[in-house]
Amino acid sequence: MSGLRTRGFPEQAVRERARLGAAAAFPADAHYGHTLFGAEPVRSDDPLDQLRITPPVFMPQRLEKLIELGREPLHTDVALDTVIGGLRSTLPLYLSAFGSTRAAGTDQVLAASRQAGRLGLPMVIGENIVPMTGYGRGGERTRRTALGRITAYLDELPDGLGGVAVQQSTEDADAEVWNLVYSDPAARPLLESGRLAFELKVGQGAKPGLGGMTVLDRAAAARVDEQYALDEVFGPDADRVLRCSSPGTFTEEILRQQIRLMRNNYPRAKVWVKLHPGRDVALAADIAWTAGADSVTVDGAEGGTGWAPVATLAHAGLPLGECLARIGPRADCLLASGRFWEGSRVVKSLALGATAAGLGRAALLATDEDPETGLTRLVECLALELRLLISSLGKYTPAALGPEDVWPSPVAATPFHRLPEVVHHG
Amino acid sequence: MTTTADAPTTRGLLLPPADPREHLTSPTTRTVLRLQQQMLAAAREYLTGAGFAEMMPPVIGPVTDPGGRGSKQVDVDFYGHKYKLMTSAILYKQASLLAFPKIFCIAPNVRLEPLETASTSRHLAEFHQIDVEMAGASRDQITAVLEELVRHIVSRVVTGLPEAFEALGRDTSVFTALLEQAFGRRTHAEAVAELIGLGHPQNPDAEIDWEGEALLSARSAQPFFVTDYPKGSRGFYDRESAQDPGVLRNFDLLAPEGYGELCSGSEREYDYTRIVTRMRETGENPAKYGWYLKLVREGIPASAGFGIGVERFTRYLAGLDSAWQANAFPKLPGVVSP
Repeated sequence: MSGLRTRGFPEQAVRERARLGAAAAFPADAHYGHTLFGAEPVRSDDPLDQLRITPPVFMPQRLEKLIELGREPLHTDVALDTVIGGLRSTLPLYLSAFGSTRAAGTDQVLAASRQAGRLGLPMVIGENIVPMTGYGRGGERTRRTALGRITAYLDELPDGLGGVAVQQSTEDADAEVWNLVYSDPAARPLLESGRLAFELKVGQGAKPGLGGMTVLDRAAAARVDEQYALDEVFGPDADRVLRCSSPGTFTEEILRQQIRLMRNNYPRAKVWVKLHPGRDVALAADIAWTAGADSVTVDGAEGGTGWAPVATLAHAGLPLGECLARIGPRADCLLASGRFWEGSRVVKSLALGATAAGLGRAALLATDEDPETGLTRLVECLALELRLLISSLGKYTPAALGPEDVWPSPVAATPFHRLPEVVHHG
Repeated sequence: MTTTADAPTTRGLLLPPADPREHLTSPTTRTVLRLQQQMLAAAREYLTGAGFAEMMPPVIGPVTDPGGRGSKQVDVDFYGHKYKLMTSAILYKQASLLAFPKIFCIAPNVRLEPLETASTSRHLAEFHQIDVEMAGASRDQITAVLEELVRHIVSRVVTGLPEAFEALGRDTSVFTALLEQAFGRRTHAEAVAELIGLGHPQNPDAEIDWEGEALLSARSAQPFFVTDYPKGSRGFYDRESAQDPGVLRNFDLLAPEGYGELCSGSEREYDYTRIVTRMRETGENPAKYGWYLKLVREGIPASAGFGIGVERFTRYLAGLDSAWQANAFPKLPGVVSP
């Protein structure tokens, strides 16, 4: 366990899950037989927190399952395997990008990669890794490189499961990260088994409309000053500077054409798009899918592992719940990220149309608590909760969830009016 | 010559000999290279005669053609600055028109193509192009130049080196249609429809894939143009149609008999605002194109041009199995070579 800390995140609960696994889905067993349990009122402004999961009395899908099994179904009969952006996952979960922030230590990042591989969960490799730490061949020594992570992940990954999505920012485009990975012998097992994806990063939840930011010492800053803007926010005499990536300029046509070019240039890779929680998120998602994206990730304002201005963390971007409500139910693959660590938030998001949820801070904290099995235990606990909650709704797959499974019925503050010529991709 | 342990797609294919001596002293290599020398001499003869000035293209620069289809650029340390080996001369071709209105060069290009291309018989990591650029030209004018150039080259080598074709077992009657008839033309949309009709899945927003090109090529008896590629399939410098947004004023020339693409070309974007916007649409960072954008901002001529792949063209003329046979020191993608 390092000194890793989080703000605005249930750190202790996540660390407990990393230690206890599925047992942490319930109150401590020492209380059993002595304490009366009941619902506690939820105090939160988060739209997802304010929703309740609504098991019905009558469950026709449970009857279908009963007939299929020839016995009464249990929560253990929920099949959680999910196709996430063209990649097969054992659960409706994936490992989010950690970015190039230093809070996540090399050992934690590699431990998270190994465990995600072992669990068969897809993994996203964040932007700015290659320009900052190198790719991992040609003499770059650090294990933190993209190649170091891919290798750690692949060493544990079962056949036919998981996959890696590699992000590319504007500065990454200079380093040609996607071209590098696409032509790299080390990534070939992923490419040839259809388990390589490229994620176009349009924005991020913690600082919507802004690019990635990290704090660098002056020596590190000097190495990248041709690629990045550096800002002396800590004063001219400070030994550290703020490194800023450009957020990149997007219009509807720029997004559409960038996706088409990705499909043109990397026909064997899946195409993912990550959006920040912008007010036009539904239109942007629609354009991305129509242009052929295999999945769209919406990073709610609650998301982010990296350095961000206080003002945007507290005041910018739509909450994830509002983003999901604006996008509405679609047949397309929608990934959600932002403060996921337990099952109810995942189930609510799936009910609102998400296909899977990303683990970011929770994964880092869990591997910080226990580098060998912390993430595995956290995911075991999450999987148990998903099975309990989904079966409580009389359903047995994540895809069966729908808006009827939450209350109040989700209504977007500003619904997206879909244009009539929009083509839906199944 | 050693093959990387991770290049299994080259299995079963004709690979270059491990020993460069074996390749260079092979009668086939010598015949093919003699043919290629005649092709280049004929190209220079035609282009110089038509008023094109020969330029010597740069090999390195701070930025190069972003390319497509997943190929990686090669970085060069230029006194502490990251430079690139040229993937194509396109930026310098446009700039050269500030000196002369009609230019050509025979340019080396280096592209670290995806490993899977080692098995297409058509891709080399290092290859050459006959690059032509003409100020003020329309697509029809530049394709006319290309057609005449190809016909001139083929005519010169067929009449000048009959013994070479005989030694290679290449029947020159296959060039009769090329020499006597205008090249065919079809739009990208028509090519996509034809491929789908043949049962070949083809993304209508993308480049014709390699199998698709080979299919179309195999069904034709003479070279033909495919025009009007969609915007998401090509670089920022191919000009977008003013009348038909989303469609580019570009073309490929495909050889018959399954040999596939020989040449790509286009009317060019030359307006600063349009180029910066197109750079974003192709995911490029305009900041790294500083010298080029400064020239464009101050004004460069409208133009059209093309680049013919020398090894591919040689392969077609000589009837070779693979493009590497038309290169003295071939470098296949992913294969460690002299």
